[in-house]
Amino acid sequence: MTTAPAKEQFDVIIVGAGPAGSVAALLSARAGLKVLLLERGEYPGAKNVSGAVFYGSAILNQLIPNWWEQAPVERYICRRDIAFMSPTTAVALDFRSAGAGYATAPYNGFTVLRPKFDRWLAAQAEAAGAFLLTSAVVDDVLRENGRIVGVRVRREQGEIYAKVVIACDGVNSFLAKKAGLQREFHSHELSLGVKEVLGLDPAIIQDRFHLSGNEGIAFEYLGAITEDVHGGAFLYTNHDSLSLGVIGQVSSLVERRKRSYELLEGFKAHPAVAPLVRGGKLREYSAHLIPESGWSMQPKLYTGGMLVAGDAAGFCLAAGLYLEGMNYAMQSGLAAAETAIVACQRGNFSARTLAIYRKYLKQRHVSTDFRAYRHAPSFVNGPRLQNLYPEMVARGMEQIFRVDGAPKQKILPLAYRMVRQSSIKPGQLLHDVYQVARAYLW
Amino acid sequence: MHIAVCLKYVPDPSTIEVDPLTGMIDTGRMLYMMNPADESALELALRLRPPTGTVTVFSVGPVEADRLLQDALAAGADAAVRVWDDSLGSLKPTVTTILLAAALRVKEAPDLVLCGGHSVDRGSGTVPALLAEHLDWPVVTDVTQFEIQAGRIQVQRRLARGARAESEVALPAILGLETGLVHLRQASLPNLMRVKHTPIPLYGLEELGLSPQDLYFPAMTLHEVMPPRPRARIMFSPDPSASVQDRVAQIMSAGVAGKAGKIMDSGTPEQQADAIIEFLRQRGFLEQPT
Repeated sequence: MTTAPAKEQFDVIIVGAGPAGSVAALLSARAGLKVLLLERGEYPGAKNVSGAVFYGSAILNQLIPNWWEQAPVERYICRRDIAFMSPTTAVALDFRSAGAGYATAPYNGFTVLRPKFDRWLAAQAEAAGAFLLTSAVVDDVLRENGRIVGVRVRREQGEIYAKVVIACDGVNSFLAKKAGLQREFHSHELSLGVKEVLGLDPAIIQDRFHLSGNEGIAFEYLGAITEDVHGGAFLYTNHDSLSLGVIGQVSSLVERRKRSYELLEGFKAHPAVAPLVRGGKLREYSAHLIPESGWSMQPKLYTGGMLVAGDAAGFCLAAGLYLEGMNYAMQSGLAAAETAIVACQRGNFSARTLAIYRKYLKQRHVSTDFRAYRHAPSFVNGPRLQNLYPEMVARGMEQIFRVDGAPKQKILPLAYRMVRQSSIKPGQLLHDVYQVARAYLW
Repeated sequence: MHIAVCLKYVPDPSTIEVDPLTGMIDTGRMLYMMNPADESALELALRLRPPTGTVTVFSVGPVEADRLLQDALAAGADAAVRVWDDSLGSLKPTVTTILLAAALRVKEAPDLVLCGGHSVDRGSGTVPALLAEHLDWPVVTDVTQFEIQAGRIQVQRRLARGARAESEVALPAILGLETGLVHLRQASLPNLMRVKHTPIPLYGLEELGLSPQDLYFPAMTLHEVMPPRPRARIMFSPDPSASVQDRVAQIMSAGVAGKAGKIMDSGTPEQQADAIIEFLRQRGFLEQPT
């Protein structure tokens, strides 16, 4: 009969082997800490979903030089499109760069397939000495004298102790709630993303999207694409597939009685999108919640014996121009690891010691970015900016380009007429202009 | 009592997906698992193990199969052995059983060998019987229930159409177990963590005292692969020469007649085997001796 060994003691337990958890494990293991990385899936990445463009190449490059040479990446992103849609029209801003940092090392972003990428990343943490345990569901935190001292895994004798616990268990973090750091979310703070991966021949992808070699493109769509649900859509190129999906605010999905898969079908049928996805064969279907409210939904980030990082801490920047999560997940994971390393050096794991997490988050520009864009989510995710204005832009361009014998209209009177015809009040328009300026300009 | 359990490393059927571009199985997405019938064999072995007994698990497979054996150790097996040689490719049950038999002999022969009756991938169900042939031990397949008493095992076998047979064999013996008899226990967290980096002893051909020639087994050869052809449907018509009464009775029965099966419960095993071979010859399943 096998007997249980003595209580396993770790320096750090990291819950969740996503981008935040795996880099936190990598950094702390390299610093010589005894690290346990827990993952509920059968393998790291099994349960993880995102778009997925990874914009944190430079960050990862500091940890693992030339990481893209060994990691399972799909294509590097050197083209980005933002398109404003009406039901029949699309107006796009097309960005393409062969410049340094976009088409050359360390690259700006890569499309990745999360099950492969996360698995690789966790393997790097393992190689650095972290102990990875999969199929391990964490049910609760363990407390002693008001401090968190470990977690309980859903297994026989599942209590396991450590000096610091880092919760990287994703949006709707169970651990942050158990530790009393996070409240329940409101449905307007969360968006539901549904995504498909469509298999397509690499040669067709290159021709269709004007790409050569391993170049890739990221499309983002705003406007009528989600009908009257607040949200948007995306389409990214992988090596031999496309990742595309629709993101809708949960509260407005419920209010408008829309199903997200219907929106996805509508998106794929849009005249600007249909030719891009033609012939794609469905390989995967997935859905996930996205914490979109940034600053306002951040939990308390630390307590005695515990830190929160990644999506669990709401570090997902969904602010119109930016749709970034994995890079902030990594930065916050690294900041949490740095904090844990310092706490272990000092031998003190009180909330006061762990408060230096704030400093590290600032140094890594996580909290500063989220603070700077704190005003963006509330109105970007609102109806006018995400749906109405983009649609008006698309309709306006339709008018401007139309040649039908009628007299030419100048842009300002046209815009004036369109605003008059719409439900927007002039006061709202001025307010929105101010909001956009406040969010992005200064 | 020493119990050996044979575990097979099989693809998880729920992860098998066909790549729509190539039409081939996407092996990159496939996950592997312990064959379910072997899992319940392992659980039964753990329950049967007396305080002084041991349970040793065996698997023939590449290095990835170590995870499976570690899982078995975490669940409570005492020792594990992986058998593999890099020259081996995809294995036929005939070769697998030669390797397993050699490993069982090398590693102190057990009193009882438990096998899952069928694997979810190949599903030939031949491993227990072939293993018995190599070890020259008695074997019972399709086992639904068994009990050990004083060196003998009382076994219940599943037969066709819900029938059951009871038999008794002397140890050492091999049992091929039905799927889903019991569920494998969940390993405790400390055990799971302990086995994570436990090295699994590897027996290659050399350690087993085998040469590549020994793996030759005069087995069937594949001549042709054909798509399954549906059987011609024969409309029932009553025998016109029969009396009216008989014809009505035939029509009322809709042509259903009980299959003429025969349960052989007398004679020596040799006589019974001869009778089975004769039956198969008559039906054209075996070639006539020339």
